[in-house]
Amino acid sequence: MRVAVVVFPGSNCDRDCHWALNNIAGVSAELVWHAARGLGGFDAVVLPGGFSYGDYLRAGAIARYAPVMGEVAAFARRGGPVLGICNGFQILLEAGLLPGAMLKNRTLTFRCRPSFVRVESAGTPFTASLEEGRVLSVPIAHAEGNYFAEPDVLARLEDEGRVVFRYCDRNGRATAEANPNGSAHNIAGIAGELGNVVGMMPHPERASDALLGSTDGLEIFQSLLAWWTGLGKQSAAAAGGQA
Amino acid sequence: MTGTDDRGMAPANRLAVLDKLYEGKAKILHRTEDPGVLLVEYKDDATALDGLKKGSIEKKGWYNAEISAFFFRYLASRGAKSHFIASAGERRHLVRAVEILPIEVVVRNVAAGSLSRRLGLEEGLELPFPLVEFYYKNDFLHDPFITRGHALALGLANEDDLDELERQALQINKLLKEVLTIAGIRLVDFKLEFGRRDGGIVLADEISPDTCRFWDAGSGARLDKDRFRRDMGDEAWAYAEVYRRLSALNVSDSDDALATGSAAADSQGGAAWRTTWQAAVEVRLKPGVLDPQGVAVSGALRANGFDGLDGVRVGKLIEVALTAASRAEAEVTLKEMCRRLLANPVIETYRFTLSSTSSSASTSPSASAGLSSGSASGVISGEGAPA
Repeated sequence: MRVAVVVFPGSNCDRDCHWALNNIAGVSAELVWHAARGLGGFDAVVLPGGFSYGDYLRAGAIARYAPVMGEVAAFARRGGPVLGICNGFQILLEAGLLPGAMLKNRTLTFRCRPSFVRVESAGTPFTASLEEGRVLSVPIAHAEGNYFAEPDVLARLEDEGRVVFRYCDRNGRATAEANPNGSAHNIAGIAGELGNVVGMMPHPERASDALLGSTDGLEIFQSLLAWWTGLGKQSAAAAGGQA
Repeated sequence: MTGTDDRGMAPANRLAVLDKLYEGKAKILHRTEDPGVLLVEYKDDATALDGLKKGSIEKKGWYNAEISAFFFRYLASRGAKSHFIASAGERRHLVRAVEILPIEVVVRNVAAGSLSRRLGLEEGLELPFPLVEFYYKNDFLHDPFITRGHALALGLANEDDLDELERQALQINKLLKEVLTIAGIRLVDFKLEFGRRDGGIVLADEISPDTCRFWDAGSGARLDKDRFRRDMGDEAWAYAEVYRRLSALNVSDSDDALATGSAAADSQGGAAWRTTWQAAVEVRLKPGVLDPQGVAVSGALRANGFDGLDGVRVGKLIEVALTAASRAEAEVTLKEMCRRLLANPVIETYRFTLSSTSSSASTSPSASAGLSSGSASGVISGEGAPA
């Protein structure tokens, strides 16, 4: 399985994602510069975290116009799996590939700490192997992770099972105290309408090596691989077939 | 591009306009008192999918007239002649009457549309060389694709004509690509129509987002009628964007050539009357959207003893300087800047004030209506709160 890790000017989790995917999860990951014009041959795309374009104007606002983003959008439309992590999530929101927007953290601080998230939906390639209700320990590191959407959008996300991860305590309770940034409905990650595009604020690549205290994040990458290898292989081939 | 003021226009522009000769999907042809000259009026109406889809795109006719005029002047300055004589006010061109050939000539640089469907090529695939295709202009048959052999068998043209069509189409393609590259536009494909005049074959019809596929060179965004055909939305923006980019090109070094390439009446085409605008764009969080910065600043103000404080909201001020042909154009451009980048419509609203900083506009004899209707130093504002 070949995974593209897109590198924007200001990305800083690209190497970590690349390492975790290649050396731990066992997929073939490649760094793809933001000016790339094609994603041919890739089976999945990861938009990593960081501060693309210095987060100028709004986090993700400028990166969404990077040349590669047209390809990412086309790839997503064909059903290809796309994961936006942290700044990558913000870019997907700004690009309109996911609904809603990010506000500054309610706490006004940059929150860099371990966090717990509950798996709310196994209906995405990144969570297909995970049990719904499972609590993962995956760290967060952001200043703008306060997810906002209009009430009708939130209602749709909930109704359609597109809330993928929710901040919770270690026992899986999605309480106000467990919400690190003020995010609506404790949302830590959501999926697009087809389920193939997922944005999440926590960093799975930072929870992929036991050396770092948790390997819960690795399961997200492993789920992607299992999805692709197993049942998903056919649909991935169909999506790629049009490329 | 030209304005509406007809001072200094040559007699050609004062030709009396007679009756309507023909009304098509996108344009109306009128006779003038000179039998060799027709007046073309560009409409906002849009049709697609062989007439199945009908609609209208705001200001499309205006943009297409300006964009076509730009290309015709530009091509003339590079030796590629067309039927175009001059702009004759908003949405109108004076053109030479020609006998339109029943062959549409399509040039393709990149696979898209019917070529992709027919041959199963991915849209966006760069072709190894420009392809020239012929289509039989016949509404009843839905303008079918034809080979050279078909064209000859039907008696639509002879071998020499077809060679000439291909030669001109490829030359026009080369010239258009040159200028569009500078404008950051990828010329994917386009359709041309030609007419006979004085024994020769000259370019006719129009060159606009209605007849071309224009993709943004960076993002690949569609800047053409595909937005309408495929229900992508923002059609009006696409036309405005192409116009804006072409208007921004500095073609002054070829102004003389531009003028001689068409009627002297049209010598105002160029950038001489364009002016600079200063915009102050204010971006605010929508009412009701939590503003953590405002809360923090409010707390700090209270700590400084400002007890009567009722609330603080923090927004952004963005100053933009831009060149545009008129106030209306500057406004359209700014709204697009806000909509696409400066504000996020999910959480923010914007408004802007616009003021002119240059007086060149008011001294130009061809100042457009937008400028002549108000003081050049006046301030107007635009506002937007997308739902």
